[in-house]
Amino acid sequence: MREIMNHRPGKIFLLVLLLATLSLLATTPFLTIPVVLVGWITLPFAAGIAFILVWLMAYLIYFFRYWPFR
Amino acid sequence: MAVLILVGFGLLVLLMAVYGYKISARTAEDYLLAGRGIGITVMFFFALFAISSVWTFYAYPSYLYRHGPGFVYFIWGCVAGFSSLYMFLGPRLWAVCKLNRFLSPVEALGERYQSPGLRLIVSLVLLASIVPYIADQSLGVGLGFKAIFGFPPVVGIIYTSLILMLIVLLGGMRMTAWVNVLLGLIYTAAFLGSLLWIIYKVFPGGITDAAQILKDREPDLLCIPGPKGMFSPVITSAIFIVGFLAFSWPHIVISTMTAQDKSLFKWLPGLALVVGGILFYTIPFVWGSLVAPAVSHMSLAKVPLLKDKEADYIIQLIVTRYLPSWFSVFVLMGVIAAGISTAAVQLMTSSIIVARDLIHGFFLPRGEDRILIRLTKASVVLMLVLSIGIACWYPVELPLYLVGIAIPGFAQWAPCLVAGILWKRATKAGAIAGTLSGSLYLISGFLYPPLLLGLHPAIPTLFLNIILMLAVSLLTPPPPDRTIRVFFDEVEDFLAKKG
Repeated sequence: MREIMNHRPGKIFLLVLLLATLSLLATTPFLTIPVVLVGWITLPFAAGIAFILVWLMAYLIYFFRYWPFR
Repeated sequence: MAVLILVGFGLLVLLMAVYGYKISARTAEDYLLAGRGIGITVMFFFALFAISSVWTFYAYPSYLYRHGPGFVYFIWGCVAGFSSLYMFLGPRLWAVCKLNRFLSPVEALGERYQSPGLRLIVSLVLLASIVPYIADQSLGVGLGFKAIFGFPPVVGIIYTSLILMLIVLLGGMRMTAWVNVLLGLIYTAAFLGSLLWIIYKVFPGGITDAAQILKDREPDLLCIPGPKGMFSPVITSAIFIVGFLAFSWPHIVISTMTAQDKSLFKWLPGLALVVGGILFYTIPFVWGSLVAPAVSHMSLAKVPLLKDKEADYIIQLIVTRYLPSWFSVFVLMGVIAAGISTAAVQLMTSSIIVARDLIHGFFLPRGEDRILIRLTKASVVLMLVLSIGIACWYPVELPLYLVGIAIPGFAQWAPCLVAGILWKRATKAGAIAGTLSGSLYLISGFLYPPLLLGLHPAIPTLFLNIILMLAVSLLTPPPPDRTIRVFFDEVEDFLAKKG
């Protein structure tokens, strides 16, 4: 964490994780409609999967290009 | 026949434990931390199935079944929390413990803050929180026995406890990790297999049929806040934060200390996000939020709508009523595997805390490895007896053992853990003020709930804990140079070296 905060890609990585988390929490008031996507995916589940995918993309880019440990 | 299968399963696990006993070295480091030699494959199964338990199999789906999909935010929080542990805390904790031969994370914190008092407080808080969670596992198996055979839960509780005792006493941490690989495969096969078979048998049009039934009969089960209005946006956000505290579950934190090398911390976050977040945890979600409630709401349902504690074993009940009896026993074996894979790690962790941090730390500081191992084994038996008592008591619904009791307790060491590893300015006074105040507030809140202001117990207590940790640390003199050198400078040098 200390190493990650010490360089620019690390700061961007942490910012992406934070923004994804805040977005997930900010969308909860809009998940009150009983809608299902592709026949079975409820909105709280879809929101979470989108959140995980953003974390995953950020992790893949940062950890495999800029990971601070050798 | 079913009983014979379960006896055979117990014997198989026993054989593995005996094998583990034969191949293990007789050192404390080997028994307690698998010789710090766990590689990526075993570590992945070890961590995933230490996290995924009877709670995931029975309790989480039962909560979704009753309250709709809002509780999935707890899982999103957990996935983020586990990933964060391996991304941010894990490498540094692993390095400092390896360099200084610490055998417990609590021991590391005691040294970081130069405080035996803090070591005592953290040990007691963690033990008080982890034992009910061990009880949750054996109770879950007990409820499975009840659903299939009609036995009282105590039968399953004793059966699970006996297997647990054998694994942990004979095999230590290494065999606990290896057994998790086998148990995890059984668990996944039973969990996924039962879901697919029920969908195939009950819903001819597939899972969309289940969603359609709920849309027609109980649409509130498809959105938040759920049929009873439990998951308002604020509560849903709070439950995400409670889930995020998964990074502080002691039995998961200790797994980072068993890692073979630092490259594990590069791969594990990805596995946690993909295999945990996207794949594995979708199984209980679909079971609990769609399939189980649709079964109960459909015409001529064989399993009526269940409420409160009755819903704790809804999954097992549906499997028993709709699928062949041999498969029902296989699913119960999956539940046993889920319970044992988690409880064995928890039992090892709690016993290490008793033996290393309490007895060895305070009464026998110069005890040899042999004595430490014996103390740990005696602690295993003590912890098991306590957990059996709590499981038989069964004071709250199954999901609340984790969410309502264990997590608020685990949360109280989170600030001093994070600050101790990442913040040079964190002081002994700050750590003690935060941990002690948060813990006392939590106990007061359990005794007199209005003190918690209607919030989840982890939220206000953690807030107080963090504020005091920060404020008191900034108001007191910084830690000595030696502490900074050992916990920061040497760790950074070690991690920067080519592995």
